[in-house]
Amino acid sequence: MSNDAVIEIRNLSKVYRDFWGRKKVQAVKSLSMDVKKGEVFGLLGPNGSGKTTTMKMLLGLLFPTSGEMTILGKPASDVSKNERIGYLPEESYLYRFLNADETLDFYGRLFKMGSAERNRRADELIEMVGLAKARRRQLKEYSKGMTRRIGLAQALINDPDLVLLDEPTSGLDPIGTREMKDLILRLKAQGKTVVMCSHQLADVQDVCDRIAVLFQGELKVLGRVEDLLEVRNETQIRSSSLSEAAISEIREVLKKHNVSDAVVSRPRADLEELFLRTVRESGERPGRRFTTEEIAGKPGGQA
Amino acid sequence: MDFDVAPFTLQSAAAGVLSWLSVVGILTFMAVLISFLLSVARNGAGGIGIFTKGLLSYLEDVGSLSPRRILALTNLTLKEAIRRKALLVFAVFAVLLMFAGWFLTNSNERAELQVGIHIAFILQTISWLLLPVVFFLSCWALPEDIRIRSLHTVVTKPARRIEIVLGRIFGMWIVTFIVLVSMGIIGYVWIVRQLPPEAKNQLTCRVPLFGYLHFLDREGQAAMNGMNVGDVWDFRSYIEGNSPGRGVFSFDGIDESSLVFGTQTAADGSGTVQVPGLMLECRFEAFRTVKGSESSIIQGVQAQYTLSNNPRETAFGLFAGSSLLRPVGSALRDAQYKTGANRLEEIAAKVATDSDSVKAGAEAAEVKQNDYFVLRLAAAYAADVLRTRNDAALTSAAAAFQKVSDSTNDLLNRMSEKSAEPYTALSAALTELAGVLTQDAETLNEHLPRLDVVLPSFHVAEYHEGSAQNINFVPRVVRFSADAETQSRSLAAVFEALNSKNQLVEGDALNPNLPGLLHSEGELSEANANLVTEVLSEQLTSGVLKVADGKLSVADGQRWLQYFDSLIQKNLLVSADSEGWMMERDLINDLTTDGRLRVEVSCVNDQMYLGMARPDLFIRKPDRAFLVGYTKALVSTALMLMLIVILGVTVSCIVKGPVALFFTLTFFIVGQFFHGFMQAILYSTELKGTGAIASAIMGAQHRGPSVGMDVSETTQRVVEGIDSIPRGLLWAFSQIVPDFTAFNAASGFVENGFDVPFAETVVPASMICLGFLIPCVLIAGALLKFRELESK
Repeated sequence: MSNDAVIEIRNLSKVYRDFWGRKKVQAVKSLSMDVKKGEVFGLLGPNGSGKTTTMKMLLGLLFPTSGEMTILGKPASDVSKNERIGYLPEESYLYRFLNADETLDFYGRLFKMGSAERNRRADELIEMVGLAKARRRQLKEYSKGMTRRIGLAQALINDPDLVLLDEPTSGLDPIGTREMKDLILRLKAQGKTVVMCSHQLADVQDVCDRIAVLFQGELKVLGRVEDLLEVRNETQIRSSSLSEAAISEIREVLKKHNVSDAVVSRPRADLEELFLRTVRESGERPGRRFTTEEIAGKPGGQA
Repeated sequence: MDFDVAPFTLQSAAAGVLSWLSVVGILTFMAVLISFLLSVARNGAGGIGIFTKGLLSYLEDVGSLSPRRILALTNLTLKEAIRRKALLVFAVFAVLLMFAGWFLTNSNERAELQVGIHIAFILQTISWLLLPVVFFLSCWALPEDIRIRSLHTVVTKPARRIEIVLGRIFGMWIVTFIVLVSMGIIGYVWIVRQLPPEAKNQLTCRVPLFGYLHFLDREGQAAMNGMNVGDVWDFRSYIEGNSPGRGVFSFDGIDESSLVFGTQTAADGSGTVQVPGLMLECRFEAFRTVKGSESSIIQGVQAQYTLSNNPRETAFGLFAGSSLLRPVGSALRDAQYKTGANRLEEIAAKVATDSDSVKAGAEAAEVKQNDYFVLRLAAAYAADVLRTRNDAALTSAAAAFQKVSDSTNDLLNRMSEKSAEPYTALSAALTELAGVLTQDAETLNEHLPRLDVVLPSFHVAEYHEGSAQNINFVPRVVRFSADAETQSRSLAAVFEALNSKNQLVEGDALNPNLPGLLHSEGELSEANANLVTEVLSEQLTSGVLKVADGKLSVADGQRWLQYFDSLIQKNLLVSADSEGWMMERDLINDLTTDGRLRVEVSCVNDQMYLGMARPDLFIRKPDRAFLVGYTKALVSTALMLMLIVILGVTVSCIVKGPVALFFTLTFFIVGQFFHGFMQAILYSTELKGTGAIASAIMGAQHRGPSVGMDVSETTQRVVEGIDSIPRGLLWAFSQIVPDFTAFNAASGFVENGFDVPFAETVVPASMICLGFLIPCVLIAGALLKFRELESK
C-alpha cells in the first residue's frame, strides 16, 4: 500500500444472489482504485452502477464476493477502523425519537469519548450545522434539510480522518448546498479525506479533486477533475479590454497573426457533458475503460 | 402448585451445569461445523481462510466488549420503548384494576379463597399484559432497525454487533423491570386495599415444612399406602378409625428455627402465655361408612397426633415388607428381642432346609426370592440405624445385622450357581444374629428407647364447614400422659440417679423423704410419688428389693428398667393421679433424632376413615410477610419475560419481525404447555410403542408391537435406526426449548398462601434464564455479524 492511500481497492467484485444462492446481478466487477490522503474523491455513475454498493462494502454493510479492500490500513471487515471514519448515509437513517442532543450523545458514546468531550463536540457541531434552536426537538419533527444537517453532525462527531458522504447535498436548498460544499472544502483544508457519491455533478465538479465514474459495476473513468475536463485539441482566447473595432480587427489579424495579451487556454467541458459522454460510450463499447487522453481528446464528440 | 418441588442442591446444580455445557458444546460444534462447510462450499479452498478469519474476528469482538457502548445501546432501547409508548400498557392495567373489584370481591367466599383470587388476578394480569409487549418489543425492534436502516448508522460506528444484541436485551430487560415493578407496587396496594377486613389476616406467606408419608396398616405394619375407599383419584390414602392404622409423617430438619410462638394456658391457670412450639397445619379428608345421626355429622371426625421418637420403628420397620419377615419386625419394634431372635432362628432353619434342597439338586422353596430382597435391605438399614446412634452397646447387633445383609446379598448374587454354600452362610448369619439379640436383649432394650407423646384429639375440619384447615400448636415443652414404657424408663432413670447419690435408703429402710425427692426430681405428682414409695416399701419388706451398702437394688439382680416394667405389667403402678403419669418432654431435644420428627396421625372414631396425602400435613415455620412471597413471584415472572426477550432478540437477528414473533411464540407455547410431554416421550418408561416405519410395517403385516415386525434382523436394525432419528430431533428440540413451567411455580405458591422456596423456584428459573442468555447472545451476535444488512 502506498503511504498516502487511505482507501485501497483491489479487484473488488460483488454478486447479489437470491435465497438459493443463484446469481441475481453483479453489482461491482473487478474494481481497483485508490483514494489518497487529503483529497476529495467523487464516486459517480448512473443509478445501479455500483457506487453505493462499493461504499457499503467499504463500510462493512455488505461483504465483497471477491477482492480486497483496506481502509486506513485495516481490512474493511475490521470494526475498529470505524473509530476514524464518519459516514453520512444517503438518507439520514437516524433514530427519530431522539432529539439532536441525544442523537449526538448516543453516537458519541459509541466512540472512546469522555462526557465533557462529547458535550463540547456536540455543541460545536450543532452550532456548525445551524440546529441550535432545534436541538431539543425530536428528529421526527425535522424537515429533510434539518435531518441532513444532523446526519452530517453525527458523521463528524468523532472528528474522523475519513468522511464518506452518500449524496451529501440531496435534500438541501441552494444555501444549504453551498454550505455543504464549503464544509467539504473545509474538511479538505483540515487534511481530512472525503469520499462522496453524488448525482449533483456541478457539486462534484466544484469540490472534488478526483473522480471515478462507474457504469454497470465497472470503473470507466478515473482521474483528476481538471485533467478530465480539459479539452486539449481546442484553443480559447479571452480578453476583457477589447473594443468592438479591436475585436473585428483581431478577427482579421488572427487570420494571419497571434495577439500577445489575449488569454489563451484550453476550453473546458463541464462534468455533466463528460458524464453523459462516458455513459453513452460505455453503452456502445462495454467492457472498456477510457484513458484521460481519450476523454480529453474529443470534447462533446466521439471518444 | 407443585408441593413436591425438586430440591435444588449443589449436586443438582453441578449436574445441570454439566448438562448445559454438553448441550451448548454439541450445538456450538455443530454450528461451527456447518458454517465451515458452507464457507468451503461457497468459496472453495479459499473458504477455509474466510471461515478462520471470520471466526477469529468474532472471537475478537466477543473479547473486546465495551460496557460503555453496551450501556449507550441499552439507554437507546429504553428511550425507544418509552417514547414509542410501550408504557401505555399501564393504562390497560389501570382500567382493569378499576373494575376488577366489582367482580372479584365476594364476602360470602371463604377468606383464603378470596385472597387467592385477588393475588392470582394481579399476577396473571401482569403476566398477560406484559407478554404481548415483550413479544413485540423483542421481535420487532432489530428487524425494524434494519428495515429503516437506522442500524446502519450504528454499525458504521465502532459498535460490535454483539454489543447491539446485548444493548437491546439489557434495554428491554430494564423496560420490563420498570413496568413490572410499577405494576407490582400498584397491584400490591390494590390487593391490600381491596380485600375485605376478614380476609386480610390470610395475607401471609406460610413457610411449610413437608414431610415424607408412609402408613401403618390396620395391623400396625409399615406400608407404602393406606386404604383405598373406592375413590378413583388415589391421591389420598386412608387410615381406618379406631385401629392401629396410622399415617406416619417424617419431618426432617426440625430445629429451633422451626418453632413459632403460640398461645398456651399458663401453668397456674391464670390466662394464657406465649410460648415457643411447633405449628402443625393439616387438611385431612374424612370418609364415613355410616350415615350416623345429625349430631354425629356435626361432631365430625376426630384425629389424634402422636409425636414419636422411636428408633426401633426406624431400624426394624422395613422387615414388614415381607410376610415371612414381618413377625421378626413386629417383635423387634416392640422390644421383644428374644421373640425376634426365635423368629429369626425359624427363618434360619428354613434357609438351612433350602440349603439341603439345593445340595440335593432340588429347588429352594422355603424362602422366596422377594423375602431375600427385603431381608437384604431391612438388615442393612437396621445396621445403618444402629451404627449411626454411635452407641458402643449397639455395635455387636449392628455388625450381626450387617453380616446378615451381606450374606443375603451374596446369596442373591450367586443364586443362579445352585450352590448350597451361600444358603448355609446366611443360615449361620441369621443364627448368629438371633444369638446376639438374645444375649443383648436387655442392653438393646435400654439403649433403644421409644418415646411416644400422644396429643389431645381434635376435630377434623371439613370443606362443608367452610374451611378444611386445622392448625394445632404443640408447645416446645410438651406435657403428656406417659405410656408404660416411658413411665418405666422414667422411673428407672430417677431411681438410678437417686441410688447413685445414696438417697434411696436410710439404714435398712427407704428414705422417708423419698416421696418428696421423687416429686421434685422425678417429675412425679405427689400422689404418684406416694404410690411408688408405698409399693417399693412393700417390695422391700417382702424381700423383692434389698438394701446393701446404702443402696437399694432388686434382690434377683434385675435392672431397674426390667423391674419397673414388671411392676407396671402387674398393674401395681396404676396412676393414683386422675391425669395419669404426666410428664414434660422437649420437642427438639427429646423427640427428634438428627432433626427428624415423626408424627403419627390416627383416626379416633370407629367406622370412619381419614384420608391424607403428603402435602396434607406440614409444619408451619414462622410465617413470612406476604410481600416477600409476592416479590419472589414477580421475580419469577420477570425472569420469564427476560427469557422471552432473549429468545425474541436472538431470532430477530436473522429473520423479519413477524417471523421472529412466530418463532418466539412457538418456543413459548411449546415450552409452556408441551415441555413435560416431550420429556415424557423421551424419558418415560410407561410410554411404549415403535417408530413410524416400524408401525407401518407391522400394520401391513397385521402384527402388533408385542410380537414385532416379521423382517430380518438387519432390516429391523435399519428400520429402528431410521425411526430413532425423529427421537433424536425431539431430544435436540427439547434441549433448546426452555421449560417455561419453571417460571409459573412461584405464583402458585403465593396464590395458595405459601412462601416461595427461593432455592427451588427463583434459583432454577434464574439458571434457565442465564443458561439461555449466554449461548443466545453468542448466536445472535454471530448471526448479526455475518449478516449483510443491505442484502438485496
